[in-house]
Amino acid sequence: VSELRYEELRGEQVAYAIHRQERTFLPTREHCPLDPTRPGGEQTEIPFPAFEIAVFDNRFPAFEAPHGAAEVVVYTDNHDGSLGTLAPERAEALMWVWRHRYMELGAREDVEYVFIFENRGVEVGVTLHHPHGQIYGYPFLPPIPARELAADERLGGCAPCKLLGDELADGRRVLIETDAIVAYVPYAARWAYEAHVIMREHRASLLDCEPGELRALASVLQTLVRGYDALFERPFPYVMAVHQAPTGGSCGERASAAAALPPARGGHLHIEFYPPLRTAEKLKYLAGSEQGAGTFISDTLPEESAAALREAIASAN
Amino acid sequence: MGSNPADAPGAPPSGDPPPPTPRPSDPSQRDRHARVQERCGPVAIERHVKDDGRSLLLYTREAEQA
Repeated sequence: VSELRYEELRGEQVAYAIHRQERTFLPTREHCPLDPTRPGGEQTEIPFPAFEIAVFDNRFPAFEAPHGAAEVVVYTDNHDGSLGTLAPERAEALMWVWRHRYMELGAREDVEYVFIFENRGVEVGVTLHHPHGQIYGYPFLPPIPARELAADERLGGCAPCKLLGDELADGRRVLIETDAIVAYVPYAARWAYEAHVIMREHRASLLDCEPGELRALASVLQTLVRGYDALFERPFPYVMAVHQAPTGGSCGERASAAAALPPARGGHLHIEFYPPLRTAEKLKYLAGSEQGAGTFISDTLPEESAAALREAIASAN
Repeated sequence: MGSNPADAPGAPPSGDPPPPTPRPSDPSQRDRHARVQERCGPVAIERHVKDDGRSLLLYTREAEQA
């Protein structure tokens, strides 16, 4: 059972889940707990010989009912591959799975914020290589989505809508454009190859998306991940963070002070990628300035990263 | 799209999730205690409960209609 302690100096929660020390750590391929259970073989987390997408309660949860949730989302029964190499139909189905989990977990009274994410690569702490992501149902609103809501207030409307408009007007950092989705390296990227994937229309969450938008979202995510892998010709580690509207009573329409921006509805669906690589061999570490002062120091200009990523995306797709 | 109005675009998260499927007394029945299938858009959902009581959901994309 996890324990929450409030850190007064920073005004944020810290979760203690000491049972997670015992979680499975980089098992050999033969003992992967996310593989299907083969006839006569070792029982895994999924007791079936084949499956498409599986979601289950994390055996080592950071949060659990009645104080939140922690789930594992297994993208495929194939041990190899990645989000980028899934069949397009499977990637599209994954968007519907995310939507279903957002809807179901978001309806729970003990969940204030549904956070879908993927950690890829040992560089970001992955303990299982099988293609998968996770979902946390936080019993409180975490600091980053809270800051995004504060940005809405500060700008007098939907901050992601404004930033998207700025990026399209500038154009130098745009990576991918479709009718429904835009991907770009943000103007003030923290990570060398940070990218944001955002809905063109104001969609507070996956629940607001049309089927065609979900299909487009899957396609753009795959295009970006394949581009990442082509950039340094190696599997590209990242943290992928799906930002949506909080579900704990903040989803209602909120009045906008500025008519120029769409009214904020407590969020605008966008997906942020934080890759730790700054070159093919070098990692960006969060050190003194980042950890002690909260200010990122970057070695790379976002415009240059975007140009390199555009080239990699073109070569990989 | 699914036929459930709560699953329509723009619909807020609504409705409590259904209660978990009762755990089978005989582990050999594991494969047979799935609920009646639910749907979310093009995916069908099967609910299971693992031997230790944890939830397991299997999602299967329905084949494209010709």
